[in-house]
Amino acid sequence: MSATTAPARGTTPRVRTARAGFSATLGFELRKLRAQWRTRAVLLGALLLPIPVAFAIHAQGNPPKDSLFGRYATTNGFALALLVLGYAGQWVMPLLTAIVAGDIFASEDHHGTWKTILTRSVSRGSFFGAKTVAAMGFAILVLLILSASTIVTSVLVAGHGDLIGLSGQLIPASQAWHLVAMSWLTAIPPTLAFTGLAILLGIWSRSAAVGIAAPVVIGFVLQLVGSMGSAEALRPYLPTSAYEAWHGFLASPSFHGPFVTGLIASAVWAAITLGLSWTLLRRRDITGG
Amino acid sequence: MRRIILTFAAAVLVAVGLGGVAVATSGGSTITVPRLDRAVATSFSNVYAQESAIEGHTGITPSSLQAKAMCDRGPNVTQSGPGATWNCLMSWSDPNTPMPPTGYGKFELNVHSNGCFTVGSPSSLIGYQTITDRRGRTVNNPAYEWDSCLDPASDDTPTGTTFPSALTVTSTTVNVTADGTVGVDLACGVGAGGCRGSVAAVTDTGVKLGTVPFTMTEQATTHLKFPTALPAGAKQVTFTATTTTGFAPPSPATLAVQG
Repeated sequence: MSATTAPARGTTPRVRTARAGFSATLGFELRKLRAQWRTRAVLLGALLLPIPVAFAIHAQGNPPKDSLFGRYATTNGFALALLVLGYAGQWVMPLLTAIVAGDIFASEDHHGTWKTILTRSVSRGSFFGAKTVAAMGFAILVLLILSASTIVTSVLVAGHGDLIGLSGQLIPASQAWHLVAMSWLTAIPPTLAFTGLAILLGIWSRSAAVGIAAPVVIGFVLQLVGSMGSAEALRPYLPTSAYEAWHGFLASPSFHGPFVTGLIASAVWAAITLGLSWTLLRRRDITGG
Repeated sequence: MRRIILTFAAAVLVAVGLGGVAVATSGGSTITVPRLDRAVATSFSNVYAQESAIEGHTGITPSSLQAKAMCDRGPNVTQSGPGATWNCLMSWSDPNTPMPPTGYGKFELNVHSNGCFTVGSPSSLIGYQTITDRRGRTVNNPAYEWDSCLDPASDDTPTGTTFPSALTVTSTTVNVTADGTVGVDLACGVGAGGCRGSVAAVTDTGVKLGTVPFTMTEQATTHLKFPTALPAGAKQVTFTATTTTGFAPPSPATLAVQG
């Protein structure tokens, strides 16, 4: 009797009780990122901006001697790439990562979509994890593009002669390629620390403007702290100092102590900022909208 | 808006807090004299060998120079940390370029808080910004100015290298004061221990004006006044400095009497 009322197996969609997992959420976050003009603009900028910058510096009559490697930036492509790295670490890299990481949570506030997502589709944990991984993945991608573009452009514009290192030693071009690439890669850990900071500020302030601008401003403040003579004890533990860890790679004998310290410091900064972010997100009352 | 203000307030608070902690815990800089001594001598040897190669001097290698440096931040300041007042005295051996009588050249350093520094060379020993290579082309002089960075964990045991200050007579003429006496201006350059000794003044007419002792810190100037009045008819005064500390001028200074 009742057999007829029960629907045949497979004819109706099964109710999905399990929420979307981490990988599905990540896929969705990446699709959202890909669709944003801002993301594309940052990637395109990282690819193309080094070209006019390299040409502009190369065209200078007087090399910018005040900055490290500025002395030979107009005559040596490796020096030019390292000069750009010195500038990029001061604010460009924190800004590039913050453009996505500062907005990735705040955009849900902007669109009022917290309730929709968290009450129906995903757990807060996988939601937080997916957005964080997406933001960090983006930071690494944009750094790799910026590095490759800067190094290739600089060498094409200013040549690949032997580089004078930070102990006055001559570094043959074959070795200089390797050292310059390694130097650029050392920017990844501090940039991820800034990604964490941008995520934290984006979640806390619920405003993309704060999430994007504040990490850059804080970066400047930390640089100021690091440049004060009395704050020298603190200097190695600032993410902004980790952006200078590559200096040791270019010395002879080379030294890697600052890089290791910077790596640990960046990891701690990222862990603290992401831990705070998760605490804020978990305790947030989303029912209000 | 409130959150934006709060964010910046928090950022400022964190910065002040970090600064406070840093000030409280600052246990000396990693930028120290022994580290600079070594880093400056090493980097100098490298760039000087490059300059020699450009100029076609053979047989000059970084190790053949045996460069030794003594760095000094100036009198009455802590001898560590970043700053623009660092100087390094350096000796090296290059058969193509004889050293001055003091045996060293003075290099000026600008040391940044990140441990990197720029060194400016004495042109009298190193030459100017551009030099002429073997084929007659004008090229950049790698030893004129160069950049280097300190390893914050490098050897910090004192190098033991010291050089005396060079004492110089800076007066160019002899000025007679109202009471008929004369004096002389001295300068004590960068170096270990300052300058100590005496100056004897004798006129061209053979009258001794006296011998006056002096004690100076490094990088200081002083004025010595001689007790005996300048006799009439004296046209020149010869000042002979002798030092117990510091490097005395190799020859006496003979200065014309003004007026």
